[in-house]
Amino acid sequence: MFGLEFPPINEILRWHDLFSSFNKISLIAVAAAVIGSLVFLLAGSKDATVAPTGIRNLAETSVEFIEDSVIMQTMGKEGLAWTPFLLSLFVFIFLCNLTGIVPILQMPATARIAIPLFLSLLVWVIFIGTGLKHQKLSYLTHLLWPPGVPVALKPLVGLIEFFSTIIVRPLSLTVRLFANMLAGHILLVTFALLSEAMFQAETYVPILTIGGILPFFMLVFLTAFEVLVVFLQAYIFTILTAVYIASSTHAEH
Amino acid sequence: MLTAVVTQSGSAYTVHLASVPPDSTAEQTISSEPVALATVTSDSATSETLAFEPQIAESGVVTASEAEHEATVEVNPGPSPIAPELKEVAWGGGSFVVFAVLMRYVLYPRLKKGMDARYASIRASHEGADATRAEAKAEVAGYEAQLAGVKAEAAAHIDAARQTLETERAAKLAAVGAEIAEQRAAASAANDAARQAVQSQIESAVGDVSGRAIELAVGKTPDAAVVSRVVLEVMSVGVAR
Repeated sequence: MFGLEFPPINEILRWHDLFSSFNKISLIAVAAAVIGSLVFLLAGSKDATVAPTGIRNLAETSVEFIEDSVIMQTMGKEGLAWTPFLLSLFVFIFLCNLTGIVPILQMPATARIAIPLFLSLLVWVIFIGTGLKHQKLSYLTHLLWPPGVPVALKPLVGLIEFFSTIIVRPLSLTVRLFANMLAGHILLVTFALLSEAMFQAETYVPILTIGGILPFFMLVFLTAFEVLVVFLQAYIFTILTAVYIASSTHAEH
Repeated sequence: MLTAVVTQSGSAYTVHLASVPPDSTAEQTISSEPVALATVTSDSATSETLAFEPQIAESGVVTASEAEHEATVEVNPGPSPIAPELKEVAWGGGSFVVFAVLMRYVLYPRLKKGMDARYASIRASHEGADATRAEAKAEVAGYEAQLAGVKAEAAAHIDAARQTLETERAAKLAAVGAEIAEQRAAASAANDAARQAVQSQIESAVGDVSGRAIELAVGKTPDAAVVSRVVLEVMSVGVAR
């Protein structure tokens, strides 16, 4: 009577394909790109000469947030050329995360590993490419052996730097975003199922019936907390990308 | 009605579930396509339980005609939840790339152009306001300088007027003082003249009275000059006293 049947992990992470080679995650990703584009398209069509309001205010705020809180903090003024890329990265991840708390959708696209992995590999390619563009082949030397490393330590440091930069960076970017969003989604599902089970349970014990509201409060609290996580994970991914690109631009990093 | 077609392979049973019309006989051979595929195992930890009524016929057809049994069916778990699915990578990556390219070449430049234009306008307005403020300050300073000049000029005029007035007042006071002194002198002279006249009249009257009194007392008329001298002396003494 008190047993709670928790669905298999795939049941809470996968929908049936909407059609061959297109599923819910694909739908959310496409929707994120379309919504992001529409927001900035509509914002761009508003009168720019007056004080921004509504959707233009939202778009300009996000631009200024990326410029002031991400780029100026990590790359300096010369990094402003990266604003479009970092802005699109932030907006796309934010919208993909946000669907986890949108009714009906209720699934962050980033709780599946595909999108975080793709974005991390893209960032990896970009910061390696940027390093090669700015520092030529000496980038690889600096990447393995930062300036000032004693000769005796070079093999060890080289190995550590190789793993930390080439392997750990994209992996940590992927896992951080994916695992956080997956954990949040599982928590929400858990408390939603628990609330439903507690409300519907025929316990005939009044205290248990009343106590059924507790997981519901937890569900509400976690949903609010997830709003913070949605923003925070998008911000962390973006700012780490900026840090990696900045580290590739200058040898002293 | 669901009917299961079971085939055995080692310890596992493969179950094909097929729907048949409710009026079909129990021994009807199933020829329709299976609606689900599941593997029957003896493991009770599997996730889904189906209740059906199996009877394995010689042909391998299971009918729902006899005693109830429970079979535990393991649902296809699908791909690993941490393995990336190619279609998700393709759609997700493609969407992002398209979005990033749009952002780079269309959306961001358009928005930024408007922002820059407005910021430039605001900066120009600020600079204009600063210039206007500087002009206003200069005008205020000029006005204050003019005001100070006017005040100094006014003070000079006032001082000059005051000096003129002082001079005129002193002159008029002197004139009035002189006039008063002159009038006082004239009055004093007139007063002295009147006193002399009165004194002469009194001397004459006293002389007459004294002369008449002496004449009545002595019976002789006294010398008028002596009487006059005596009267004069007596009056002089009285005045001096």
